[in-house]
Amino acid sequence: MAVGLLKKVGSDKILTEPLKHPDFFHLSELFSLKDLFDARVHLGHKIGCRHRLMEQYLFGCRLEQDILDLDQTMEHLQQALNFTAHVAYRRGIILFVSRNRQFTHLIESMARDCGEYAHCRYWQGGLLTNANVQYGKGVRLPDLIVFLSTLNNVFQQHVAVRDAAKMNIPTVGIVDSNCNPSLLTYPVPGNDDSGPAVELYCKLFRMTINRAKDKRRQMEILYGLKSQND
Amino acid sequence: MSALCKAVCVSKRAAELARIPCRSLLGFTKHYSSGETGETPGNEEGTPPAEKRLGGFAAAFELHSDLQQKHDIAAATVGKTASSKKKQSFAYLLKHSPLVQMGTAKDKVAVGKIFHIVNDDLYIDFGGKFHCVCKRPAVDGEKYQRGSRVRLRLVDLELTSRFLGAKTDTTLLEADAVLLGLLESKPK
Repeated sequence: MAVGLLKKVGSDKILTEPLKHPDFFHLSELFSLKDLFDARVHLGHKIGCRHRLMEQYLFGCRLEQDILDLDQTMEHLQQALNFTAHVAYRRGIILFVSRNRQFTHLIESMARDCGEYAHCRYWQGGLLTNANVQYGKGVRLPDLIVFLSTLNNVFQQHVAVRDAAKMNIPTVGIVDSNCNPSLLTYPVPGNDDSGPAVELYCKLFRMTINRAKDKRRQMEILYGLKSQND
Repeated sequence: MSALCKAVCVSKRAAELARIPCRSLLGFTKHYSSGETGETPGNEEGTPPAEKRLGGFAAAFELHSDLQQKHDIAAATVGKTASSKKKQSFAYLLKHSPLVQMGTAKDKVAVGKIFHIVNDDLYIDFGGKFHCVCKRPAVDGEKYQRGSRVRLRLVDLELTSRFLGAKTDTTLLEADAVLLGLLESKPK
């Protein structure tokens, strides 16, 4: 019985310890302003495509092209990656969604590499809201949905953004200057159309999730051994 | 020799007076005056301080060349990490980026790289937000393969247009450019 009690204390420690630090997984060392700049993350669409709610994230407009403010992007990206890491640490299911056909393969292979899931194909209406009927009872829904592009092929907001909000699933999303950031939990203003930018995001998410999972294994060994020794 | 030196000195004085930064001229002066012993004004070798009284531009040039030399030595010895440690703000990076320095995209020549080919369509990335798609030219057609660098004349960075009754512009998610040809490699 004493062993059982110690195990419980150990598992509490595993879950509460990361919450005491603002950057438990040291994610700020994964990216810098220069990296974002070189990956063309600051480039937005033309002024005519601008979404009203993205004006707060814009640095300005140069020759009719919107430029996103990378200082704000850095803060938002840090928070989004930190949240993703915590979800992965607690063994949450992460789903990557993007309807940008150019990067479907890249995102799917990235999801496979970090042991999570991706849905970059046609989204059926009731996938989240009607899951019990479509997949059978007791299906586990994702604990976090990451959008590498929040628009679908007809430049409307992806259905999953609204459905995740309905199902209380937190969302992280890369929002370009023509997207609506309001329904996302952790919006990240950034370019979602250039190859280098999406490759950078994939690299960052993959490294974050792998880091979080490795940390979890380390913590389990550490606190597992400690509770055994005590 | 001295006559040539005089001619060079005169032209340098003229440049000084006209305040034209003609570095090549001053470099020329330096090369010739190193042989002389304090005859020319603005000699950068070790002339006694009492003798030389450098004019405004010459003094500034000397100061700049010293700083440049120090910076080069520092950069060479310490390596890339030193220069990258100096935090450049986003505004600085943006202002000095090629995209902003270029100005309007219309009729600017850029170098792009082909990253995808579909039969006769070449998808070329030139560093902007979007890529451009060009037809394979009739001349040297088989030389255009994935990874080849090409010269482009840009027309537009993003093809957008506002249609009647629409709230926002419709974008094609593509840039527009005219293919000029392959990038000729410089003979070594």
